[in-house]
Amino acid sequence: MSEFLVGYLSNQSNHEDPPRECDVLIIGGGLLGTSLAYYLAKEGTDVTLIEREEINREASGTNAGSFHFQIALHQLTPNMTDSEKDRLASEVRLQVDAAKLWDNLEQELDADLGVHFDGGIMVAETEEEMRVLRDKDEIEKSAGLESHILTGDEMRAFAPYLAPDLAGISFCPREGHANPLLVGPTYAYRAAERGVRFRTDCGAESIEVLTGEKHRFKVTTNKGVIKANRVVNAAGAWTAELAAQLGLKLPMGLSGLHVNVTEPREYFLKSMVQHIGRRLTLKQTHNNTFIIGGGWPSRPEPYPKRFSNIWNSASGNLAVALRVLPMLKDVKLIRTWSGVWAYTLDFKPILGESERIPGYHVAMVPTGFTLGPMVAQMLSEYMTAPKGSIKLPEEFRVDREVA
Amino acid sequence: MKSVTGNDLVVIGGGPAGIAAAATASSFGLRVALIDERVTLGGQIFKRVGPGFDLRERKSLGKDYARGSDLIDEIDRPNVTLLTSTTVLTIEDGKVITSHPEEGIRALDYRFLIIAPGAYDRPVAFPGWTLPGVMTAGAVQTMVKTQRISPGKRVFFAGSGPLALAFSAQLIGLGAPVFKVIESAPFPSPINALRLLSRIGGNLDLIRDAAKYRSVLFKARVPFKYGRIIVKAEGKGRLEYVTHAKADREWNPIPGTEVREACDALCVGYGFFPSHELFRLVDCAFEYDENRGGFSVLRDEWGATSVDSVFAVGDGTGVTGSYSAVAQGRLAGLQIASRLKKITEEERDSAAKPYARELRARNRFQSALNKMFDVGAGIYRLADKKTVICRCESVTRGAIDPIIDSTDDVSVVKGISRAGMGLCQGRNCQRHIAAMIADRHQKPISSVSFQTPRFPVKPVEIGAIADDSVREEKYFIT
Repeated sequence: MSEFLVGYLSNQSNHEDPPRECDVLIIGGGLLGTSLAYYLAKEGTDVTLIEREEINREASGTNAGSFHFQIALHQLTPNMTDSEKDRLASEVRLQVDAAKLWDNLEQELDADLGVHFDGGIMVAETEEEMRVLRDKDEIEKSAGLESHILTGDEMRAFAPYLAPDLAGISFCPREGHANPLLVGPTYAYRAAERGVRFRTDCGAESIEVLTGEKHRFKVTTNKGVIKANRVVNAAGAWTAELAAQLGLKLPMGLSGLHVNVTEPREYFLKSMVQHIGRRLTLKQTHNNTFIIGGGWPSRPEPYPKRFSNIWNSASGNLAVALRVLPMLKDVKLIRTWSGVWAYTLDFKPILGESERIPGYHVAMVPTGFTLGPMVAQMLSEYMTAPKGSIKLPEEFRVDREVA
Repeated sequence: MKSVTGNDLVVIGGGPAGIAAAATASSFGLRVALIDERVTLGGQIFKRVGPGFDLRERKSLGKDYARGSDLIDEIDRPNVTLLTSTTVLTIEDGKVITSHPEEGIRALDYRFLIIAPGAYDRPVAFPGWTLPGVMTAGAVQTMVKTQRISPGKRVFFAGSGPLALAFSAQLIGLGAPVFKVIESAPFPSPINALRLLSRIGGNLDLIRDAAKYRSVLFKARVPFKYGRIIVKAEGKGRLEYVTHAKADREWNPIPGTEVREACDALCVGYGFFPSHELFRLVDCAFEYDENRGGFSVLRDEWGATSVDSVFAVGDGTGVTGSYSAVAQGRLAGLQIASRLKKITEEERDSAAKPYARELRARNRFQSALNKMFDVGAGIYRLADKKTVICRCESVTRGAIDPIIDSTDDVSVVKGISRAGMGLCQGRNCQRHIAAMIADRHQKPISSVSFQTPRFPVKPVEIGAIADDSVREEKYFIT
């Protein structure tokens, strides 16, 4: 399983000084940066990627590896208007496209990435939640995402491990997961094979726009100056901070997410379980441990310290988990951790080239693991096509303002 | 979650250091809560016999048992609350969060906190170390002290340091059939012996103890061999043979000197690691000293750490033994009583004198002892490709080596191999992996950093900590 990682990691040139110039300079070695590097290199683009720590170390490697194709619950409201429903349907179509990319990714990269499509369950506890679940189901079906509603005995027969008194569930067979520790590094490995230069322990300290020179950008790193025609800001949680250096104000926020990990138990839970009204994602890994999260907060700490965990997030999160799966009562919690989640204020990706600073690109997406490779592919198509021939969706614009 | 409020001082750990701290602080009227995860107080050195055992001849259990009893009697005061069978899970926002099988989760507030977590046996990974019948010295000591169970019929003891001698003599005294003891360090050189002798002041009792232990072994005709190290353990399903060999100065086995012997229990005692999870959680500063067990928390002469109101005492701060631990506990208790204005600084200083003197004498002697039993890097090189390093997740050295070839980061090794992700939370393998990294990348082990500290400090059932009264920010339903 780890041969690609080891292969990538043994690439000693990662620690050499970066080249003095390049066409595209990607800043950030997360899933977006590495997958973009791969797709650009596949089209023959000259790419250098710099990363201030190690590849895949932040959110790309610390998330739970789930594919979220169902509509995220923070996007839903009890009484949605038709235009809201249309907007959500267009997002589900994006999700369906992402699912197709994941279908083929192990073949594309010729590697085992731990991709499994075992389906996803979303539970409703109350009748009010059940109504939202039915609305959601309708939107998803209209956008081409398979989904089923189950209640009563049907639900209990389908998922006997769930609390029997839940109001109902929806089941989306397309959902699943991949190993987040493998995907980014494998993209990096395959990109390096196609000539991408990776430089780790190499952080962008400042960035300047040049005028009247061969290159448009001058990026100063801790390992020297790099001049580039085009720059891609793929700095994940730190995207807005980096963009602010050039006066761009991105509509982004940051939050720390609490995650719980238990001891292993006999494998029984094939599908990920979420709750439509409360913060819960719960799944059993192939190591038989349970990973329980779903959006409970952790405490921000200044970089490079990792966000710290909050006791109440564990006790509240686990109470929701037990409400849904009471049989986990005597399973031991072994560890907690905290990931950093970067989101956009309108929950849409920020993707494309700035109109104010031509040549400056941003690649940032809130559900980064699920959608990252797909938006990277979209951006790569935009960057390698003749100018003006491909347009990225208007609502992803880098220079947009969000109220 | 229940609250236990109004504590002037919370002491975590009911071993020699923690009890001494609680005893001194409570003698000046401080309201003290003393937490220990075991059923009875005493820690490892002052460990009580197990519940249900009737103790008729206290004297037969030796001096440490009596020292422990006297100390425990001292905290029999109304202003001391004992919380036994209570496990600390985390420390957050000035509260110690604990779990108890009946009481559930309790949060204790404090004005001062003393962390006295003690130490655990240094895990040593050699071929066969996970076979049934191979045990650490601490585990064997617990079996013998609390349950009166001998680990086997033919017990081999491999270890190093003063405790290798003390433990094996104690085991023999308690009826465990030890038949041979090997010590990795060479026979004491004249320089080391002189250094030790020059620091004997205040430590005569230890020398007497050592002589007594030596004579126990001598009388029982148990050979004690210097300069030999454990190489491997073998057997079908359980331990049948041990192999040991002559060790060079760095504790590497010398090929051709191996001896294989039949036995059914192997007791492994190569020193201790301080338990520093709680210090890391509250973000204390550290220093490095391999002979005291690696990373040790920084503290002033009273035991205050770099974190306000948090004190560190006992072997959890770097292993120096029970006499030092008691003195450290007393000093911390005095300082906190003075900070809370229960005594003046003059009263504090005059009461502190004998303890400070004792601590100085013990530390001088201890550092001379440490030089004599300097831990050799060879201890981390005994594993072969098939030897399990992380026993919770069954990760072998063969799986870890290629990862270490390309990274010097413990977290990356953990992420890729799963070493350190299991039930012991990395206590068994993380320092070993750090040592492998240091060896491979030719850097000091002190430069290989910890994993990020996270709660729970000990595994705990979901049902115990789940709390339905804690509600998240809702996304949409009002």
